[in-house]
Amino acid sequence: MCESGLFYWANGCFNRLSGRSLKREIYFDNWPYSFILAQPMRNPRLHNLRKLSLSVILALFPVSAWAQSSNELIRFDRFNAFILLVVFSAAVLIYTNWAKRGKTLFLRKIPGLDAVEEAVGRATEMGRPVLFIPGIAELDEIETIAGISILGRVAKITAQYETPLMVPVRYPLVLAAGQEVVEQAYIEMGKGDAYDKDTVRYVAGEQFAFTANVNGYMMRERPATNIYMGAFFAESLLLAETGNAAGSIQIAGTARPEQLPFFIAACVYTLMGEELYAASAYLSHEPVMLGGLKGQDFVKMLLIIALVIGILLVTFGWGDTYVTWFDAV
Amino acid sequence: METMDRRWIYLMVAIAVFIPFVFPANFPISITPETQKLYDAVEALPDSCTVMLVFDYYPSTIAECEPMTTAALHHFWRKNCKVITLSNIPLGGPSMAETVTRSIPPQYNKQYGIDFVNLGYKANYVAVLSGMGNSIESIFPTDNSGTPLSELPLMDSVYNYDDVAFIFEVADNATADYWVSIVNAQYGTPMGCGTTAVSAPKYYAFVDAGQFVGLLGGMKGAAEYEMLVGEKDKAVSGMSAQSLVHLLIIGLVLVGNIGFFLGRREEREAKI
Amino acid sequence: MRTQVPVVVAFLTGFALLVSFFFNENTWIGQISSEIKIWVTIVGGFTLLLGVVSITRVNWAAVKGRKEGWGYKVVTLISIFAMAIPAVFPSTWSPLFGRAEGSIYDWLFVYLDSPMMATMFATLAFYIASAAYRAFRARTPESTILLLTATAVMLWRVPMGEAFLNLFPGNIPEFLNTYIMNGANMAVQRGIIIGAALGAASMSLRIILGIERTYMGKG
Repeated sequence: MCESGLFYWANGCFNRLSGRSLKREIYFDNWPYSFILAQPMRNPRLHNLRKLSLSVILALFPVSAWAQSSNELIRFDRFNAFILLVVFSAAVLIYTNWAKRGKTLFLRKIPGLDAVEEAVGRATEMGRPVLFIPGIAELDEIETIAGISILGRVAKITAQYETPLMVPVRYPLVLAAGQEVVEQAYIEMGKGDAYDKDTVRYVAGEQFAFTANVNGYMMRERPATNIYMGAFFAESLLLAETGNAAGSIQIAGTARPEQLPFFIAACVYTLMGEELYAASAYLSHEPVMLGGLKGQDFVKMLLIIALVIGILLVTFGWGDTYVTWFDAV
Repeated sequence: METMDRRWIYLMVAIAVFIPFVFPANFPISITPETQKLYDAVEALPDSCTVMLVFDYYPSTIAECEPMTTAALHHFWRKNCKVITLSNIPLGGPSMAETVTRSIPPQYNKQYGIDFVNLGYKANYVAVLSGMGNSIESIFPTDNSGTPLSELPLMDSVYNYDDVAFIFEVADNATADYWVSIVNAQYGTPMGCGTTAVSAPKYYAFVDAGQFVGLLGGMKGAAEYEMLVGEKDKAVSGMSAQSLVHLLIIGLVLVGNIGFFLGRREEREAKI
Repeated sequence: MRTQVPVVVAFLTGFALLVSFFFNENTWIGQISSEIKIWVTIVGGFTLLLGVVSITRVNWAAVKGRKEGWGYKVVTLISIFAMAIPAVFPSTWSPLFGRAEGSIYDWLFVYLDSPMMATMFATLAFYIASAAYRAFRARTPESTILLLTATAVMLWRVPMGEAFLNLFPGNIPEFLNTYIMNGANMAVQRGIIIGAALGAASMSLRIILGIERTYMGKG
């Protein structure tokens, strides 16, 4: 990346906008970069673009840091990551804005999520509890946060039907977040009195001590429905097989590709990869959240196009420079 | 035949695991390119360089992961490398590092603090991994037993990842992903990985992209590495049991399918 | 207030870490990021206490109320404190304290904890056998391909199976490594990984911007 045009463009851009002369002039096809960069700045039709670029750059460069040279201050080798970040954020925000304004956004059906309510209803009919596991990772894992978000929705349904809910967790912070989410769900459904603080409980910090405890619970209480949503590791099959043996209806979701086969073998529905992250938006039906999903899809399309271009260029031996654009992203 | 009480299956698995203890069978172990690449990368390291050996596995996966760390330690010390061990696993990680370094015979004549250091564990691996890029001492002010790093001669010359020539990550969980995305991608430190068999398929993509120089997949990968290092140990001896259980599972799948097809034929005939 | 303050904290820390990624570590922005990372490790350490409080409260309530299986809860409580307390005391008081070789913690870890955990993990072999027997059926052409591929990979990953595969003409192990593991497998893994990474990034952005608040029980 350091040798790529992007680096020089960024370096030249900073120096020009900061009003300082270039330390070293860079040439592209015999044209100095400073000259190339100056063209859009001179064009009155691009006045807004210039203003926008300036405000973005100024926001990123604190006044106190102006004394330092740009190379000491900024990681220009990560400029490609910066571009990706800007494109990604813009796509998410633009789609969110559209969704807020009432534009209808199509979202394909995710059968696993549609089945959640049905599965809780089954537990209610059978008079047996619902077991929800928000993965076994810490709260700093996005998968766990996705699991906790889904827990909020599930807790609303169990509160509505007054179905017992059991949420074993492995980390204290997940415990705190889980308790907050479940309590809030019960309050929102007007069932604050029915909320039991031990619905969400810390079981064990060790993976298999946790698994042993939950498996024991499954065999003793025989929950009608088991929902696994979050980050799972080697315990995935131990949990899902035990749930299967206990006769529970099981729905799982994880972004861990290596655990997907186990869940697929033992559960009725399995959410794969990004479906898990889409779940909270899907279940909430809030336009603001759905906008985020569409933005994500847009960037995925861009990546697919970039991949196809890359495949073609590399296949024909012209992709050396192109590949360096993606270094360190 | 299509349905069988699962307890019969459990019994068969138990027998398949037990038989090789009584009648061991030795079959040749071939080396996969991923293991060979990892071995070659370690072999190509300069003598006496500093490396990190990461114990990111729980005691539950000792059978698969410990042979990897043991063989790696043999390999590093044979090359006279300085080894820094650490763990992102709260329960057991640091203790396992102690156990493995203790178990290596004194033939290498290595001294704690000079030739190897155990940094222990710190919570929140994302912050730990990126924080060490700035300064290892800011994240681990002391080693596992509470000795300040400033009192350990090895750490005088090691400030951050720039001073580490190679990282060998042995993991039974997703921390390997973070070592790639935080340490390899952002700091460029070469890295190899050993992982459980179930996680290994995921990491082929990382090897192909050059983010891992090589990969040890499960006990088979560990056995291959033991063979290459010339220290045949637990992984090589565990291969017989693993072979039989794999064959048993294939047999069970076959039986289940025969039952499935017979059942389907009976159904069809009943309809006619 | 209970929603706004966490959202503001999430935004500020998330934004600071995001921006600092594009600055060198020796700048003051880089230093802020290093400082946040140190704070996170410290806060992470304190949260372990929450777990101890929760597990003690739940189990103590069961023991006090003589609920079914209360005897096991007593064992749980004793185990927690037997493992934790001697490890907290400094080894200078007694060689039994601390976490060094010969300490109570070390003994419990090596001779109780490790074998128990390894046993639990080992049960996976039994469960995999049972799940494979039940789930692997050649119902459709796709599941037949899956079945055949899985069988071939299982054979290849063990010496006995590999010896069997080598009886056939053509280098089947090399074919499996090249076309299955480094071909089909890798492509699928990459697809899922890229999709999941984008999903995670999108969700992170929603959290940083305060759009996603369901994890706090809001929305």
